[in-house]
Amino acid sequence: MVCTIKAGLAFAALAFLLQPSLRAQDNMKQDSMKKDDMKHDKMQDDKMMHDGNSKTLQTGKFHGKVHATSGRATVYQEADGKLVLRLTNFKTSNGPDVHVILVATKDADDDANFLKSNTERVELGKLKGNEGDQNYEIPAGTDLTKFRTVSIYCERFNANFGAAPLEKF
Amino acid sequence: MNTNKGSWLSRNKWILVLIGVPVLGGAWWVFRPEKLFINQKVSETAPPALSSEPEALYTGKLEGKIHQTSGRATIYKNKDGKEYLRLSDFTTSNGPDVHVVLVRVENKALEQEIVMGELEHVEVGMLKGNQNDQNYDLPAAVDLNQYQAVAIYCERFHAIFGVARLEKF
Repeated sequence: MVCTIKAGLAFAALAFLLQPSLRAQDNMKQDSMKKDDMKHDKMQDDKMMHDGNSKTLQTGKFHGKVHATSGRATVYQEADGKLVLRLTNFKTSNGPDVHVILVATKDADDDANFLKSNTERVELGKLKGNEGDQNYEIPAGTDLTKFRTVSIYCERFNANFGAAPLEKF
Repeated sequence: MNTNKGSWLSRNKWILVLIGVPVLGGAWWVFRPEKLFINQKVSETAPPALSSEPEALYTGKLEGKIHQTSGRATIYKNKDGKEYLRLSDFTTSNGPDVHVVLVRVENKALEQEIVMGELEHVEVGMLKGNQNDQNYDLPAAVDLNQYQAVAIYCERFHAIFGVARLEKF
């Protein structure tokens, strides 16, 4: 009787021990297959990243109601760590004293007067043109986890022409 | 009376002009109304480090359907003209016979989790792994103007794991 119980327990223990290992093995099989693929893939990635020596960090699309604004804002990191904001397919309306800024909010409303005096911002420069592709340097040490929205901002009237909330690329 | 008023105007017109011109000038400087009609176009090239990179054509975020799926799908064009799909920050659930496919974005089947009948698609490849960054060569003949959705698709069960609707980068 005791023997059968012991044997039963041993069997149960064995099954218990074996089960995950069996599974693990199964996983390993799958994984190793995949890992090879992934390794290969990663190598490709690395090559892709390191060949050009720069990478895409964040991207977002412009929206704007006050002044129709469209296009894409993308933050790139160059090989030397320098951050660049690039606007592509960009279009907004022309205006006086228009700047490109980064704002410490998740998204800027389409409201004309959106920027509270205490909203933190980083100035990137005067808007170079209201149409077309353009690059802006982002000051070193800018915390992109905090400044998460690009705004086309008319300082004179505190008006937000358009904004692009940045998302991880 | 009329002559009186006229004479007041004529007597003071230089003062009016002296006040009026700066006021109008100031108003013009503040509002710059002519900018409404004048566009300022720029077309800066990408920073030099970037122009040696594969060019991103389309991108979209993955949304989970029947299984939680997240990450980003981006279509790049290599310098040699070859196009490939890259999944980054990618996570989905593992499964049997899972493929990466391109689907017409207007395809109603994308709204379902389980596709009734056959899903009209362009095969890109077996899913290499259910997590992490991975690249897939695109078939040369695929028309990306038509097929603007990437789906993670289990062919055996006609289950759509996740979908990314692509937007112009």
